[in-house]
Amino acid sequence: MQINEQMIREIVVQVLQDIDIPQPVKAAAVDERPMTLVEKGEARPGTKADEVVIAVTPAFGKFQHKTIVNIPLSDVLREIIAGIEEQGLRARVVRVLRTSDVAFAAHDATKLSGSGIAIGILSRGTTVIHQKDLPPLSNLELFSQSPLIDLPTYRAIGSNAARYAKGESPTPVPTRNDQMARPKYQAKAAVLHIKETEHVVPGAKPVELEVRF
Amino acid sequence: MVQQKTVEDIVREVLKTMYQEQGVKAVDSVPPSNKLVPERDYPLATKRPDLVKTLTGKSLNDITLEKVLRSEIGADDVRITPETLRLQAEIAEGVGRVQLAQNLRRAAELTAIPDNRILEIYNALRPYRSTKQEILNIAEEMETKYNAKINAALVREAAGVYERRNRLRAD
Amino acid sequence: MNKSKRFEALAARPVNQDGFVVEWPEVGLIAMGSPNDPVPSIKIEKGKVIELDGVVRDKFDFIDQFIADYAIDINVAEKAMAMPDVDIAKMLVDVNVSREEVTKVVLGLTPAKIVAVLNTMNVVEMMMALQKMRARKLPSNQCHVTNVADNPVLIAADAAEAALRGFDEMETTVAVVRYAPFNALSLLIGGQAGRGGVLIQCSLEEATELQLGMRGITAYAETISVYGTENVFVDGDDTPWSKTFLASAYASRGLKMRFTSGTGSEVQMGYAEGKSMLYLEVRCIMIARGAGVQGLQNGSVSCIGVPAAVPSGIRAVLAENLCTSMLDLEVASSNDQTFTHSDIRRTARTLMEMLPGTDFITSGYSAVPNYDNMFAGSNWDVEDYDDWNILQRDLMVDGGLKPVSEEEVVAVRSKAARALQAVFKELGFPAITDAEVEAATYAHGSKDMPQRNVVEDLKAAQDMMKREITGLDIVKALANSGFNDLAGYVLNLLKQRISGDYLHTAAILDKDFNVISAVNNRNDYRGPGTGYRISAERWDEIKNISQAIKPSDFDE
Repeated sequence: MQINEQMIREIVVQVLQDIDIPQPVKAAAVDERPMTLVEKGEARPGTKADEVVIAVTPAFGKFQHKTIVNIPLSDVLREIIAGIEEQGLRARVVRVLRTSDVAFAAHDATKLSGSGIAIGILSRGTTVIHQKDLPPLSNLELFSQSPLIDLPTYRAIGSNAARYAKGESPTPVPTRNDQMARPKYQAKAAVLHIKETEHVVPGAKPVELEVRF
Repeated sequence: MVQQKTVEDIVREVLKTMYQEQGVKAVDSVPPSNKLVPERDYPLATKRPDLVKTLTGKSLNDITLEKVLRSEIGADDVRITPETLRLQAEIAEGVGRVQLAQNLRRAAELTAIPDNRILEIYNALRPYRSTKQEILNIAEEMETKYNAKINAALVREAAGVYERRNRLRAD
Repeated sequence: MNKSKRFEALAARPVNQDGFVVEWPEVGLIAMGSPNDPVPSIKIEKGKVIELDGVVRDKFDFIDQFIADYAIDINVAEKAMAMPDVDIAKMLVDVNVSREEVTKVVLGLTPAKIVAVLNTMNVVEMMMALQKMRARKLPSNQCHVTNVADNPVLIAADAAEAALRGFDEMETTVAVVRYAPFNALSLLIGGQAGRGGVLIQCSLEEATELQLGMRGITAYAETISVYGTENVFVDGDDTPWSKTFLASAYASRGLKMRFTSGTGSEVQMGYAEGKSMLYLEVRCIMIARGAGVQGLQNGSVSCIGVPAAVPSGIRAVLAENLCTSMLDLEVASSNDQTFTHSDIRRTARTLMEMLPGTDFITSGYSAVPNYDNMFAGSNWDVEDYDDWNILQRDLMVDGGLKPVSEEEVVAVRSKAARALQAVFKELGFPAITDAEVEAATYAHGSKDMPQRNVVEDLKAAQDMMKREITGLDIVKALANSGFNDLAGYVLNLLKQRISGDYLHTAAILDKDFNVISAVNNRNDYRGPGTGYRISAERWDEIKNISQAIKPSDFDE
């Protein structure tokens, strides 16, 4: 009972904050190692085959700072980038604005990625590894249950994406499944998604981001 | 509109003569009195096996395991024909399912289009995939190459809707 | 304040781990009766709908236009729209009004009018109506067969057991997309090993799903999603026109298919336009009708956590199933996704459809332990099999399943695993060892299975598509390795697509591959003593649970 009340309260507070006073862009309180995302204009297609593009969605790190299970998004991004770099590849981060759908965001990014491989990530944590020639709603690996993704998994996702970019066939990151994630989190996920979608700009081009930790 | 109508008529005429030359009876020519009756004729496989043929002219009883193992049965032998789909459309109409019947009639036309082209057309009809002209070209192709008139009309309509609702590909 | 021990006990109850939210109509977090739902209206001029629920034709979004042009019978619309909401609702529950009479009226209604009718009904009235309006007389059931490792041998074994237990349709999906061809193949062989005539499908991205159907690996399709707002429809990467074309594409290959939709999907995807979940869902149902598909899977489906979190949400879910039946479509009524920690809540939710009976009461029931359910968990899983059977026995209700013995189950699981082993060998796929066959025969879930080489499997699965392996190749592989009965079944399944009989509403196949559909098995419920009644034979099957003691047990 208390958990639910608290959740509703949290949601209501967040909503009211958004409606009345635009929240200043700053890292959430739990985030001890803040991250700055500097917008660098329209993202251009890359030419280097050794890059993996990470597409974040409209509210990521700007209006939302924690995943659905309160993992700081700065840590999430750091781990994905570390996973890519440990394979000897480079990560490039873009913000997709035209959609809040993780598959489409990632698919847009595959077209910018010199390797054709991209990772899409929603502010609530849902993540996908995508490849250029696949249909938008298909994928290489999908992590649809956002409450179950922890930091080592984000790192492994980065690493696997880099390996696809190198033309390897890595063993997919083990999928997790918890049948009680939906009862507990789906309503919260809906609210978070509505809030993310409010920041969608139809037709807008992806923006290059410089990440400073 | 007038021009379109004329083209349609010409195509229809040409096809009619083609069918007659091949000695294939066009299903459209079956008089209404011969319409199938759901209670009497359905399921076709058991009640009207005489009407069910494969694309290669075989009957259901001809498709046996032995023949499959002797490689006498190919992929075309396990495919539905446009004629059978139109018969099933009559059954659907007989139980008041007009939209299902129309779907089966569109399907009858699509039997002529190869699998890969079907997949391509489907993807081209998805949002933001095609320009208006590209969609209209598909309609044209359906009509002239495959005699798929109902589908062509549906695709043309889509082109108009996508334009009005900004769902075309912006180049 | 001192803490109440009573409240402490209540707080520890499973139901209090569930997520609930207050209604938030502005964004569509409301099940029924949003203040933003439109007022019913229709205007017809020169045979065209020029106004629909308060929107004039120039302002139609693509869904309005599609519904206006394809889903409404304009010959009856004006008369039907003029009827008071409660009069139509009373027709729905009145046993003296036939299903056909009701359908005629409903096909003339707009989405907002249908919602207005449903708003007048309580759940018991909706259940009464569903009992009459379901398309097929015989109720049935569908299941999920998946596992977290995409282990093909286990899929085959679980499918066989599920078929034996009574499911007429089964569905798989993937943990890793590239495994899809193997999952479909395993389900095909496993399903037929359990009972000839079971229909199978593999839930995937739309174009890929169609391809597996065309190749004859799957027998039907269901995950053809439609949505109630234009923005969400586009995010789902389709339009009503592309989906209509897809529907005809399936039929052109002789394949059964239905659409999928559900309350909550629009709000879940962020664009509900402030409308109630039920209103948006009714639009989806009418798109299905307009596209000419024979049926629809709905009942919130994977978004059930959203309606379940708001007031009257489970009633809305029943209402959407009912609406599907009212529009004379096959309804696969969900009950297929976890939405609660509470056994009481999940049972109550399912009784809404199980008691009246639907074309597929669950779509599906997890035929694997929920930890292996890759649809993120079903409302019912293998560990509930006996509960389900005993519910059927307690209430004398046909939920589509039957009690089975351990010996029978072990036998069909073993056969399915061996058949798949043989087909893998014939087709040159990575070997399935005898140890894997043995493990799958006795396994409860993927935790009981040895690991496979996933990278090799994925390569072979892609290879299966590249080599264009078809259903006929599977038939040959089965026969060449001595599984002639299964080869015959798979061939019979392929032959269904020649006659097209199973393209009709609510079609399933019996064990002799006869089609049972809402053409030759139309629901004719007209009150007590009519419609579907459990036969003596079927009742014996349901009654005979091994747990019941007999007087003879005490004879020595």
